[in-house]
Amino acid sequence: MRYLLQRLGFYLLAAWAALTLNFFLPRLMPGDPATALFARFRGRLAPEAMDALRETFGLTEAPLIQQYFTYLSHVLRGDLGVSVAYFPAPVSEVIATGLVWTVFLAGTAVVISFAIGTLLGVVSAWRRRGWLDSWLPSTLVFLGAFPYFWLAMVALYVLGFALGWFPLGHAYGDDLTPGFTFEFMADVFRHAALPVGTVVIATLGGWLLSMRNSMIAVLGSDFVNLARAKGLPPSRVVLRYAARNALLPSVTGFGMALGFVLGGSLLTEIVFSYPGQGYLLVQAVRNQDYALMQGIFLVITLAVLGANWLVDLVYMWLDPRTRGARS
Amino acid sequence: MRALRGARPVLLALAVAAAPGCARERPPAPEGVLVVSQEQQASWVRNFNPLTTATAARWPTLAGVYEPLFVFNSVRTEYVPWLGTAWEWRKGDRVLRVTTRDGVRWSDGEPFGARDVAFTFDLLRRFRALDRRGVWGFLSEVRVVDPRTVDFVFERIFIPGFDEIAAQQIVPEHAWKGVADPVTYANETPVATGPFTEVRLFRNQVFELGRNPHYWQDGRPLFDGLRFPAYPSNDRANLALVFDEVDWAGNFVPAIERVYVSRDPDHHRYWFPLTGSSIFLYANTTLPPLDDTKVRKALSMAIDRELLVDVALYRYSRPSDATALSDGYAAWRDSTIAAEGDWVRFDPAAAARLLDEAGLEPDADGVRRMPDGTPLAWEVLCVSGWSDWVRASQVIARNLGAVGIGATVRTLDFSAWFQRVQEGNFALSLGWSFEGPTPYLFYRWLMSSATVKPLGEVATGNWHRYGSPAADSVLTAFERAADPAAQRRLADDMQRVFVREAPAIPLYPNPSWAEYNTRRFTGFPSAADPYADPSPNKIDRGECLLVLTRIAPR
Repeated sequence: MRYLLQRLGFYLLAAWAALTLNFFLPRLMPGDPATALFARFRGRLAPEAMDALRETFGLTEAPLIQQYFTYLSHVLRGDLGVSVAYFPAPVSEVIATGLVWTVFLAGTAVVISFAIGTLLGVVSAWRRRGWLDSWLPSTLVFLGAFPYFWLAMVALYVLGFALGWFPLGHAYGDDLTPGFTFEFMADVFRHAALPVGTVVIATLGGWLLSMRNSMIAVLGSDFVNLARAKGLPPSRVVLRYAARNALLPSVTGFGMALGFVLGGSLLTEIVFSYPGQGYLLVQAVRNQDYALMQGIFLVITLAVLGANWLVDLVYMWLDPRTRGARS
Repeated sequence: MRALRGARPVLLALAVAAAPGCARERPPAPEGVLVVSQEQQASWVRNFNPLTTATAARWPTLAGVYEPLFVFNSVRTEYVPWLGTAWEWRKGDRVLRVTTRDGVRWSDGEPFGARDVAFTFDLLRRFRALDRRGVWGFLSEVRVVDPRTVDFVFERIFIPGFDEIAAQQIVPEHAWKGVADPVTYANETPVATGPFTEVRLFRNQVFELGRNPHYWQDGRPLFDGLRFPAYPSNDRANLALVFDEVDWAGNFVPAIERVYVSRDPDHHRYWFPLTGSSIFLYANTTLPPLDDTKVRKALSMAIDRELLVDVALYRYSRPSDATALSDGYAAWRDSTIAAEGDWVRFDPAAAARLLDEAGLEPDADGVRRMPDGTPLAWEVLCVSGWSDWVRASQVIARNLGAVGIGATVRTLDFSAWFQRVQEGNFALSLGWSFEGPTPYLFYRWLMSSATVKPLGEVATGNWHRYGSPAADSVLTAFERAADPAAQRRLADDMQRVFVREAPAIPLYPNPSWAEYNTRRFTGFPSAADPYADPSPNKIDRGECLLVLTRIAPR
């Protein structure tokens, strides 16, 4: 229990540090939201509009430190402010337009990739130098080494355009009404196939390798040899003895990956016109939309911290040593 | 033009390569629904407020949902009566009397009238953030005379103020008077006078607008509705265009004949009239020797504009003439005056001669030096990622090098670039100019002393800091000239001053981007039928309305 509390304190500190960085980093950029917006028009907006824009966004001249404390108190109250790029929508509302789809898309991809990759890693380590082990890891690592952007475009081109098997973009057909109907869900999965598929292919190799390598180390240890000598069935040795222990480093990685899911898979979303959150961040930076940037960073920060918290819990379950030593 | 940013033709090239092999079916777009792609967004945020910030509201809000008093047709250079039917200057040109159209109803059935006009302008007065055209800089009062007449009382005689009043979108008093803060009001269900007012569908990746049941033009619009799929990038939007998913778009498309037209020459059309703002090479005139007209003219003559439009712009534009006016000012441009300006002709020998005369002689290595011995070496600033500008700067740097001026291209991130030009912290930089219905606004921000800010202070325009006393008197006279003949004469004078003094170096007029598909709809403007600017991007002065009320289903 003390272990958990200690971790909690650490997370609070990390959250505060992240919030502070969120606030100061965007403000180091030159210019302000009004000029960024003004510039998008390249002369189609009269210079008089500048004053109106500044007025609209309520750009204040208050000292930075004062703005910082206002920001902190607003965040604590759950008020993320108003977006400039999507004025006058509140940041929370803007983030909400894409969050569900991002969580679905990237979350599914990470979970599938982790599950399959880890499983393949176990098999490939157990059947070392078998036919699976000799070609699978190298192929997957090879695929993962391609720039993701390129891989996704080729997939879109071949499977989307040339063969027409998959839709070219969006999260579901434009002519469907969202709802929990079979037709709609099927369409969502059809639309997610390419984006999820490409992410899985690009990341599978990493999971496989990390699991395979730690499996091999564990398989050589004494307690596994003992289990074998006792004559336990191979499946039990692999899964209960070896895999459970070899999983620890992978779980850490999984936690990190889950946390980053909320940042949105920028490239995936752009290539497949997926209405997710990754593109929002680009828009926010382009428009110097401080509030939106802060909001998105905050969501990412909380997600990473939350995922790590979960990993800590899983660790306690997987590894009795953490329980024994500290409670 | 912003579409050029991050234009990665990779995806498009792939799509074109796919050409005949793929037999994709067009996704079923409902009959009579025009699919438009103008904004690039990953998902839509519901906002139909025509008064705030110009970019926040979804595309047709400014010209399609809401309407202005008078629509400006930039191809014919004339005003088209819209919610207003006539205007008249009275009381020594200090009062502008506008007659509003009879029989116009809001989309909820309420009648439209002069009260709505006065109410709208009163909102702009009470909420300065909404006054993006700065009308309350010259107005003192807006008065309802009778239900169809409204008087705009000016603080001083300021004839160009009409352009800003004409362009203002009018909102209904009965629906807006209860809005506590119109600045942050999202107006999710608009009540408006335009052809398309009914939000039939609004989802994060697509929305649809239906026709106004009470539209004032009988029988129009001629089709049922508008549909907007969300595409996050220029590439993706172009792809949709190529694959017949979009009927009307305003994107930059590279090599359009090959990429778009050749796939279906009967239906894939485009027309890029040169009605956009002109692009300039600005020389900081506070910096010797750039304060010398001769030197600026020499720089201009060193530039090969034919090559520049070829390299930078796929020949979508032409070299500017010495008046710098784009085709959006066709009715104002005087070709004899333009012909007097020989300093936009590519002539490196003459450029070298002029530089010699200005006392900038080359040393033994061919590098020109100031009389005090410092070599001429400047950076040409442009924005990284704006590929047209970057290529143009490269051509310019090479051309200047050929006449002995050391010029290097410096690409900066947009905000950093904008800060430097605004503060006058540059020697040479590419930049846009300002558009308006008359050359007044355009020339004012190029050479009026009133727009010159000291170095280091932020200037929204006139970054090159050039003030011409000759231009000042002409511009001031124009502000007070209500008579069209007098306006013409003064506009000629402005052109003469510009041609004589070369305050900035014009490069090319920007095209107005418009692509359309005639498979399902007809009636788009074209070079053969140039009734208006064809681009959906022309919303600021209502021009899209001319197109939206003319397009017809096949």
